[in-house]
Amino acid sequence: MTAAIKTDKLKRFKNLEFILGVLLVGGIGLAVIFSGWLFPGGGSELNLAYRLTPPLVEPGFPLGTDPLGRDVLARVIIGGEISLKVGVYSALGAVVIGIIMGLVSGYYGGFLDMIVMRFADVQLALPFILLAITFIAVIGGGLTNMIILLIISQWVQYARLVRGSVLSLRDREFILAAKAIGVKDIRILFQHLLPNLIGPVIVLMTLNVANNILLESSLTFLGLGVDPVIPSWGGMLAEGRTYLQTAWWVSVFPGLAILLTVLGLNLLGDWLRDALDPTGRTSL
Amino acid sequence: MKKNKRVLNGAIAGMALSVALSASAQAGSLTIASPQDPGSWDPIDTFLVNWASVATNIFDGLTYRGPDLELVPGLATEWEELDDGTRIRFTLREGVTFHNGEPFNAEAVKFTFDRLLGEEGGQGPQRSNYTAIESVEVIDDYTVDFHLNEPDPVLLTKLAGYGAMIVPPEYLTEYGDEHFNTHPVGTGPFKVVEYNPREDVQLEAFADHWGGAPKLDEVTYRFISEPSTAVAELQAGRVDIVIPPTIPIGMIDTINNHDGASIVSVASPTVEAIRFNTQSGITADERVRKAMIMAVDRQAIIDSILAGEGEMIASFQGAQSFGNDPDMEPLPYDPQQARELLDEAGVEQGATVQIDVRGNDATFGEVAQVVASYLQGVGITASIQPYETNVLLNDIIPAGRTGEMFQQKWGGWTFDFDNTAYLMYHTGERWNPYDSDAELDEMLEAQRSITDQEERETLLQAIAQYTQDRALEMPLYSINALYGVSDRVENFEPAPDNRMRLTNVDVSE
Repeated sequence: MTAAIKTDKLKRFKNLEFILGVLLVGGIGLAVIFSGWLFPGGGSELNLAYRLTPPLVEPGFPLGTDPLGRDVLARVIIGGEISLKVGVYSALGAVVIGIIMGLVSGYYGGFLDMIVMRFADVQLALPFILLAITFIAVIGGGLTNMIILLIISQWVQYARLVRGSVLSLRDREFILAAKAIGVKDIRILFQHLLPNLIGPVIVLMTLNVANNILLESSLTFLGLGVDPVIPSWGGMLAEGRTYLQTAWWVSVFPGLAILLTVLGLNLLGDWLRDALDPTGRTSL
Repeated sequence: MKKNKRVLNGAIAGMALSVALSASAQAGSLTIASPQDPGSWDPIDTFLVNWASVATNIFDGLTYRGPDLELVPGLATEWEELDDGTRIRFTLREGVTFHNGEPFNAEAVKFTFDRLLGEEGGQGPQRSNYTAIESVEVIDDYTVDFHLNEPDPVLLTKLAGYGAMIVPPEYLTEYGDEHFNTHPVGTGPFKVVEYNPREDVQLEAFADHWGGAPKLDEVTYRFISEPSTAVAELQAGRVDIVIPPTIPIGMIDTINNHDGASIVSVASPTVEAIRFNTQSGITADERVRKAMIMAVDRQAIIDSILAGEGEMIASFQGAQSFGNDPDMEPLPYDPQQARELLDEAGVEQGATVQIDVRGNDATFGEVAQVVASYLQGVGITASIQPYETNVLLNDIIPAGRTGEMFQQKWGGWTFDFDNTAYLMYHTGERWNPYDSDAELDEMLEAQRSITDQEERETLLQAIAQYTQDRALEMPLYSINALYGVSDRVENFEPAPDNRMRLTNVDVSE
């Protein structure tokens, strides 16, 4: 009886989670996609006469202006493009590389497995910020480089996750059967193994997108990320920091944008995990 | 009479009591936030302004220059130029002792400069400023002769700071350089009690200082690099003075709006420019460089971004600098003519340039974006590349690996254009990775051997004009030094060069 009520409550909560997640991520995603149409100026027009206008004072600037007199609302929405691009592309890149490495390493084992996994261990032992500073000092900053950096630092998680699943799956009957009738390795890997382990990978990816948005913001905040001329959430936070006590709106709104996006993605990821794996068989 | 005396006695007793009371309430103790720990306190090891902001209280030079920028006697009471400026005779102050009790005399002066010009000095950045000195000769206990290779018109000023601080010979011989780095001993008004690297350095008044005992008992410098932290500490009353270069322009209001602290600003020698790669890219063309300068409304930047805490400059020096020509006008703001010049030079619309900046400089980050926006106005797309400050200064600029433009911040503490100009424009110098101009080299060398100051000033002004004619950089502004000062601090006089001596500073409860 009580158990039934509990599940019912949980289900309703799960639905709420899903709705909120979709609303947040979808809303921000749509705003970003149509940002060019909403704000043709790109949010980079300077109006030195209007610098640091508070929100709701000038009709043209609903969320106020930053120290250079640029529209905070336009910049928050346009800045989302960088964050979402970095988050999504880097997670996708890391997933592709991680899956391939994990499948190969788990399925074939032996020397190849050892090489990949030792490499992964080394990678995991490196603190991210150290890796980031070195990488950016050598290669340089910018959007593409940052995506590459995030891929390099994150494919390992996927590789390990996939490898673990492959190890538990490869001796199961359906794989042995496929092998016995002479199915090619590549087909076993991608058609028999991959669909059985993709669930947790997708969940991990959702959470990683959120994490990467945060990392992008931190790197840009530290001055290691994208060009400051291009609006980005991390960059806006950094710029607004000196004005925190006199003009809170410069950094609070981009901060809020980061918070809501990451929250939305985490809610979706959580929901997705339960949807893909209702009994909690595989743990992340 | 007798009665009067008793009253007086009572008053003295009362004063003594109040002193005792306030001492227990930690009166006379001042805390300063400094953005950088120099790591070593040895004068020959440093060129950091935040070394000087502390060390000015620990050490003395032969000459002294205070906030009024007048050169006055320090450890030398008088001096005389002999042999056409190739020999300077100093008469030393008598009865001065180092913090460890060691006497100051001619031997200490000789030891200091032998060390600076010798092997130890060669490992540090300071020696190059003093190469005009050939040797120091002891005449008697309180007289020394400086023999010079060539006359150095700025030498007396240079003797007031940095590498020329007098160090104790016996102490150094006994304990060695390594120990001296962290346990410095000088003749200054304060002595170092404790140094915790990256945390703080604590000083205590040296009552026997020749200039009189300081009013404060203790001074602590805390190293706080993050501006918001330093300002929060000031607001919370845990720090009394925040010294430059910490406070970004954007935080002026934060401090002024706070009860109990305010901003004190003073014109400083610090100038900022965006310099050009004159060797490659579109900036190799003089017309393009001029066009870029004219495209940027520098006065508008000073008025809005700098909140007026700066002044427009025509060449890479501030108004107080020797060699600055007050009649020289900056290139005008004229986007129309800028466009014409760009057309003439054949620069296409949408040409791109890169501006390299220091990543942690909040104020300049804004300035660079405004510059980029003005350049956009004449059809040039500028991207901004932030670097970690040390990487930019030690790696990118000297190696000539910058973009078309790069930020240069310069604080010539000698207030003499020679120091700036020679290092910026002479062929092969560290800060001149791109340009080589025989005519400019010749002028720069010539002014160094002129002892007539008027003639030298004219030549320095000609050099400044020449750099403007060739548009070697986009001079932006000289920026004020901003001090955040708590209301409990008394007699604080801001030093333009950040080398502030705290002898007269006091605190109230």
